[in-house]
Amino acid sequence: MVMAKVEVGAAPSLNVAERADGRSASQLRPLSLSRGLLTRAHGSATWSQENTTVLAAVYGPKPAAMKKENAERAIIEVVWRAKSGLSGSYEKDAEVVVRRSLEYIILTALHPNTAISVILQVINDDGSLLACAMNAACAALVDAGIPLNGLLSAVSCGVTHDGQVFLDPTKPEEQKCKAYVSFVFPSRRLSAVPELPADVDGEPVEYGILTSVTRGAMEVEEYFSCVENCRAAAAKVSEFSRSSIEQSLKGNRDGC
Amino acid sequence: MSHAGLRMSTNEKEFIVAAIREEQRIDGRTPFDYRRLQIKFLKEDGSVEVQLGQTRVLAVVKGEITQPYPDRGNEGSLAIFTEFSPMGDPAFEPGRPSEMAVELGRIIDRGLRESRAVDTESLCILSGRSVWSIRVDIHILDNYGNLVDAANLAALAALLSYRRPECTVGGDDGQQIIVHPPEVREPVGLIIHHLPIAVTFAFFGDGNFQVLDPNLKEEEVMGGRITITINSQGEICAVQKGGGVGVSASEVMRCLRIAAAKAQSMTETLKKAVEIHEIERAQRKIRRHPNLQNQIDTASSVPNPIKKIEVEMEETSEDIEPKQALDTERGIKDLSMSDSSRMKSTETEVAETLTEKPSRAGGRDLFAGGESAWGDDVKLTPLKGSPGTRSTLFPLDSDALVEFDVAARAVLRGGVSSQRMSSKLVSEPLQRQISDQIAAAAVYANQTSPLISEDARPLGPIFPRVGDMDSTEESDAALETKSVSQPEGTPVNFYFSGKKKPKKRGGSGRQD
Repeated sequence: MVMAKVEVGAAPSLNVAERADGRSASQLRPLSLSRGLLTRAHGSATWSQENTTVLAAVYGPKPAAMKKENAERAIIEVVWRAKSGLSGSYEKDAEVVVRRSLEYIILTALHPNTAISVILQVINDDGSLLACAMNAACAALVDAGIPLNGLLSAVSCGVTHDGQVFLDPTKPEEQKCKAYVSFVFPSRRLSAVPELPADVDGEPVEYGILTSVTRGAMEVEEYFSCVENCRAAAAKVSEFSRSSIEQSLKGNRDGC
Repeated sequence: MSHAGLRMSTNEKEFIVAAIREEQRIDGRTPFDYRRLQIKFLKEDGSVEVQLGQTRVLAVVKGEITQPYPDRGNEGSLAIFTEFSPMGDPAFEPGRPSEMAVELGRIIDRGLRESRAVDTESLCILSGRSVWSIRVDIHILDNYGNLVDAANLAALAALLSYRRPECTVGGDDGQQIIVHPPEVREPVGLIIHHLPIAVTFAFFGDGNFQVLDPNLKEEEVMGGRITITINSQGEICAVQKGGGVGVSASEVMRCLRIAAAKAQSMTETLKKAVEIHEIERAQRKIRRHPNLQNQIDTASSVPNPIKKIEVEMEETSEDIEPKQALDTERGIKDLSMSDSSRMKSTETEVAETLTEKPSRAGGRDLFAGGESAWGDDVKLTPLKGSPGTRSTLFPLDSDALVEFDVAARAVLRGGVSSQRMSSKLVSEPLQRQISDQIAAAAVYANQTSPLISEDARPLGPIFPRVGDMDSTEESDAALETKSVSQPEGTPVNFYFSGKKKPKKRGGSGRQD
């Protein structure tokens, strides 16, 4: 194999067929989830996508600060801690994105005048960081026993300069591709409110995009292609997180 | 010392104190026992998670090139940032660091920086212009008491495992700094002179009852606390006793003596953990590419190995992607030829040619470095693949041979600046294991095709021992490979040299 000569000014090429870790374009990295690691936090979870690891901790519902509390619902606070360095605008932005996504699944009306804090600590960043953090936050909420109306599954994918879509980019891949996007899909088997239909306009609720954050510019067709690919992958992620949680809960029950 | 967020009943508090008077602790420890310590090195160099009982701390070390302070032009800087993340304790608020956070940061800072544990002069690149600025971020993940000791250990472990990219000064005016990416040149570790270990005691009653490593509940009821930062040589780096109940001098002396002993055992534990991590790191380097791992696996599962392995190697060498693959003979020969001319040039020129090299096919220029001391006498073909597959006599570890390859490559790569090669690259037991196995492989190979020709010169040991760049005669003798007899009865001594100029190492076992 002859390495492509890099011309000055030209975009660095990223060959989807030959990714550095040998994956195909539609392959996710190995996932791992462990819950209940911290003693002080009410709920905690570590979500790893091979080398990208995020530790999420949840406290709540706990008394909210006077000026922030809401008499009708619980407020959600998200703190994003980068691995190193001071918190900047990236962290603030990520906090907002995570908070808005979690507001969809947490049944805040059940705990008025309280606060639910989600703290995310980046342990290692090797691409797909936002997706990893979202998955970790969801699992930590489950671990804390916060009432939810569904789970989340988050996946990210990138688009190369020649329009190829590939899933779960690593950090070098993110830097070399034209654009990358993180999606968060709701993941629910049964509708929390049985009276409401399980689909909207013929499409299952699960197929709706809860959150979409893009970095870089991509064509509309490429974006839709990303959505399709990520939806399929999100189903796998959802399957994994559910089975992992169910297994650990089953263990608890037997132990009791 | 009350702790917001932790509400304990009066009964519980009194029970804890009463028990300590009887030398009982609520978690079953004796008064001067540490909780269970776990040091976990994360995937990236310089990231460590330490668990002391249920207290968890994460330390991350990062380095960047900055301008030095005006009054310290030829010194780098070390800064420690402690973050009491709200994750660790419901009482920790995001935002301004609390008193506790500031105190903890200062204790670790005094112990590490002011005691000059980390050598800052070696962090200088261009005096007065550019230096390395090392930043240690400590995140408290779970507070279950005694954050200082855990955080200090985490910071130490992170500094020991951190590797900064190697950089050389070059350019036309000699003022340009070239930072070599880790694929081109092995990153180098920090120079750490000693390891200051923080040991914390809590006082109860009138100060006449002390316990080591208080947990959260004990901290809630303690009367006072003292933290002693001391190294294994018995040198006190810092003492912090901030208020609390008054303690007699003799009690403080007692604590100091215990702290000295604890520091020694803690240093041993830390060093051992770092060493294990180093070995794993070296192993992981070759496993980085999954295709390579497959090659190793298929090679070791093939029954009749010799020819087949060689064929496989030839084929795959064509599509090598940038990775530390089992390198081909060609690669090493290339190196010898092209580098002999380079040997005469200065270091700066070498650095430049190194940085220009990436355009070569396949990234085999991972192999840039000094002259190969093996010359033409050593045939490398029998060394390729796993010796374990060639011979049923020696149950060899294929990993070791590949590690040797990596180590050899690193040595050859660092040939120009061999002084800066990390002497922690391969540890002692591994060196011995590798030498033994090479000798075994050599014997077997010699039976099929001679590995070294009659007039080959045996050279000195290949890599310096851990922490000891200039081996003494005794250590060289210890590293001397066993003479293994061939069927005819003539002994075969097998030595290697990775150093540029083996001549300088006189007395290193040469036989002329």
